[in-house]
Amino acid sequence: MLTINNLHKRFGKVVAVADVSLEVKQGETVVLMGPSGCGKSTTIRTINRLVEPDGGEVIFAGRDLTAMSSEEIRAVRKRIGFVFQQFNLIGRLTAEENVMLGLVMDGMPKEAARDKALAALTKVGLESCRGQKPGELSGGQQQRVGIARALAFEPELMLWDEPTASLDPILVREVLVVMEELAKYRASTMVVVTHELPFALHVADRLVLMDKGRVVEEGVPDKVFVTPASEVGQRYKELIEYQMNTSALTLAGRRVA
Amino acid sequence: MTFAKNMLRDSFQRDIIILLVVSILVGSMLASAVSMGANAYFSKTLASFVGDYGEFDLIINVREEMKIDSAQQIQKIINDVFPGSTMKEGPTLTGKTSFFVTLPAQYQTKQVYEDLGKTFGSIPGGAGVGVMTDPRLTIRGVPEGAKNMLMDKIMQMDGVRFAFRDGSSIGVVLQSLEKSAPVEKQINALLKQYQVIEISFPVGSEPANPIRLGEAIAGALQQDLRLQYAQNVSVDGKNDDMTYAVSTMMEMRRFLTAYASQVTITPTGGAQLAKGDTLVFQGTAPAAPAAGSPPDKNNVLVQITAIKSDGTAEGTIAQGDASALANPQGYRLDKNLVAEPVATVSYSNPRQQLAGALDETSKLVAEIPGFAQDARGMSTIAMNALESYDSGIAAVEKTLDGVQAAGTTIQAATSGLATIDTSALRAQLDTSAKGLGGLIGTLKVLKLAGGDGSSIDSLAGTQSSLVGLSSTLGALDNVAVNARQAKTAIDSVVSGSQSTLATLKAFDAAGAKASLSDMNGRLDKVQQINAPLVAAQLQYMAASAPNLKDEDISHTLAIIDKFIAGQVIPGERIQILTTSNISTDAVAPIVHREAGHSNAALYATDMGIIEPDARGQLYQVLHEVKAILAGITAMVAASLFLVFDHTAIMAVIRRRRLANRTKPAGWRAIAARFAAISAAERLYGMACGAVMLTAMFIFAGGGIPYLPWIGVPVVGALLGLLVASYADKISPVAGDEIMAGEALGLSLDEVMREIVIPAARPGLLQKLNNRKVKFR
Repeated sequence: MLTINNLHKRFGKVVAVADVSLEVKQGETVVLMGPSGCGKSTTIRTINRLVEPDGGEVIFAGRDLTAMSSEEIRAVRKRIGFVFQQFNLIGRLTAEENVMLGLVMDGMPKEAARDKALAALTKVGLESCRGQKPGELSGGQQQRVGIARALAFEPELMLWDEPTASLDPILVREVLVVMEELAKYRASTMVVVTHELPFALHVADRLVLMDKGRVVEEGVPDKVFVTPASEVGQRYKELIEYQMNTSALTLAGRRVA
Repeated sequence: MTFAKNMLRDSFQRDIIILLVVSILVGSMLASAVSMGANAYFSKTLASFVGDYGEFDLIINVREEMKIDSAQQIQKIINDVFPGSTMKEGPTLTGKTSFFVTLPAQYQTKQVYEDLGKTFGSIPGGAGVGVMTDPRLTIRGVPEGAKNMLMDKIMQMDGVRFAFRDGSSIGVVLQSLEKSAPVEKQINALLKQYQVIEISFPVGSEPANPIRLGEAIAGALQQDLRLQYAQNVSVDGKNDDMTYAVSTMMEMRRFLTAYASQVTITPTGGAQLAKGDTLVFQGTAPAAPAAGSPPDKNNVLVQITAIKSDGTAEGTIAQGDASALANPQGYRLDKNLVAEPVATVSYSNPRQQLAGALDETSKLVAEIPGFAQDARGMSTIAMNALESYDSGIAAVEKTLDGVQAAGTTIQAATSGLATIDTSALRAQLDTSAKGLGGLIGTLKVLKLAGGDGSSIDSLAGTQSSLVGLSSTLGALDNVAVNARQAKTAIDSVVSGSQSTLATLKAFDAAGAKASLSDMNGRLDKVQQINAPLVAAQLQYMAASAPNLKDEDISHTLAIIDKFIAGQVIPGERIQILTTSNISTDAVAPIVHREAGHSNAALYATDMGIIEPDARGQLYQVLHEVKAILAGITAMVAASLFLVFDHTAIMAVIRRRRLANRTKPAGWRAIAARFAAISAAERLYGMACGAVMLTAMFIFAGGGIPYLPWIGVPVVGALLGLLVASYADKISPVAGDEIMAGEALGLSLDEVMREIVIPAARPGLLQKLNNRKVKFR
């Protein structure tokens, strides 16, 4: 489905992505994790060339996206959904219009697009908010609109760029639920950049750990988090252990977690 | 190629081009509307005072209280003289009402405009007529005498309808306002070809007749410096009759001054006299002036005009006549009262001298016929003498030959005598005579004694014969000597006479006769002269000249001085118009020579200065204000369009430029700062600013003082650069929204139309974009 070979990206002297290679299979959910600034978001953005890579290949559906013209890449982007950390909704448009935008611009009649948008919004539980503008929605709702917008195209590949990073913990769940549902029904192949350990543990088919622009470890979550091979993996393991211990709270004399 | 394709399809680039075109049209219309509005307002305000530009040809100012009568009179004049003309009453300011007159084209002529003063001279309460015909140029400072020449040349220029005398200036009526600049350029070039050399004379060195001196200087300049053009332009010597009158007056003044009595005053008793003092003389009054009394009308008053270095003074007679100055004692006149005696006077009266000379001349003339008659007689005698001159010479020559022959004969006749020795014979004869004398004495004694006395007489006779013979013998010697002397004398006479005769022969008797013949002809003509008539006229002149009294002359001179002083001819200044290629240094020696002194200052001035008329100037200012307003409005409009329509575009361009760029550090940061001007968004801003502003300037007729046309696109580019530098702050774009659009596969055109422009500042672009946007 998606093959990344020796991907490079520098910002001046800073090497953001260094020789990253990755294989994502059809229907697979791959989670990229790592410390902040390790190159996760840059890597995921170079896949659909929102950030132009300096080198390497991104093979999607058998074609190298890095060699495509701007018109070709625009066509490919319609097959790849992208969910942003900051939601990136069009402020002047309603939730429904945000979802419709890509469809209409792709030539779909407005009514058909509206139906599709409504379906997408329903999928993320926001059909009632269809007429509201982003500024009138909560962060979680906005992100769900963003997800609906990505889903409206029924993409073959979904790229998630820390979709919960801008949400307060209470709102994170409603997004994660949507994501888990999508992953559960294998609606599309997903590459997810996140710091959400529970999501990674429960949803990821494969975990890829990055550090300083490089892939330092990858594997199924159980393996990576139980027997980490990298320093980053080790630190995640310790974190999981810490969270498990501190999550064992006693409430009214009963242990609840 | 890509750009061309984008223009053909429905692209955002085409939107930008359309935006620019619409912006230019809107901006131009706005600038035109503002400038035309302001121009209309000011023009209307101005027109209420002085009429619209080119609407009227004449302005006639009259006194407010007479305006009704004046209006009727003006209407009558224009109906009679300029049929088809219209009149409009203008505003009344400071007690004067203006009437504006529009003349039909056929009356807009040099002749009509130069005669306006006469044409409208009969208007009651008239305060002046002015020309308002536009477009018009005014040239001031042109010397009177140069105006005709200048007008002739100007009227040959393309774009000039005619030129006319407009008071002290020259008015030039043009064919159109567009011709104003080229005609002005041509006139300026013409003015530069000439210069006016001003010659100023200080007090005391003024020329007696500046007109004549000016003409003399101009002629000398042409001759000595070989100047193509040099003209005395102190006054107009061609058309102004007054010039002739003034010139005549000046000559008359010079004549009268020359025949005024020359009064010389000698101070007495150490008195001090000053120029301007008046002295009183007895004149024809019965008694000498009395101190403390006012001067009598029969007294002679002399005003001192100059003090000489030797203390004597010159004066003119203000009252009376010099002939009445029999009593030479003069008294000072102090506060119109006779004061102490201060001087004695002597005078010479040129009029009397003239009269005497004329009288003598008339007598001489009367004698001319007699002289001619006598001369004719003498001439006849001389002619007769000359007729016998040659025969006389021949006779003299013959006589000389005879004399010479006689000398030769004498010499031959006496040559024998020269060899005879008569001295011994004469001694013997003298002795015999003496013996006879003794004998005779004896006989005389005997006779006394009674003897015979007859032998005594016989002996006395013998003795006398002996003495006579002796004397004859002595004379014979003298004859020989005399004969030699005579021969020598004859030779000398003959020799000298022959020399004289040669001189006499050389005399051109025939020429002398021809001369005498000519003289006879002239004498005949002299005899034909009507000598009595000439003599009578001379006697008439002699009789009339003295009729002028000195006081008459003084008063006449005063009147002439007043008249001349009131004319435009400044006695102390001469203006010579000449070509500009000669310096005052070269002219000065000629001026000094012609003036007879070097007490004159020379300097060169322009022939004239172009001065657009005030009204034209005002409209020109209005025209400029209109252009400035259009220019400023265009600049404001361009700035607004840049700010409201183009900043969002610039911000997007900037974002795309910076998307893959890292922030430079160190010297690269400094270099990047300098290179920032070439950043895409700034180039875009400069291009848009330059195109918009230039086009708006052209379409709206904008113009900023001191800003050349080439500067307009530069200013536009600077505006664009300035706006581009602050594009992010003026119209920030949401980068995440743009990225979302890109992630959805939207093209840049779609991103701009659906995301950027609708969210940008409201402006023309947003309005235009509304047609294209899918989600409003």
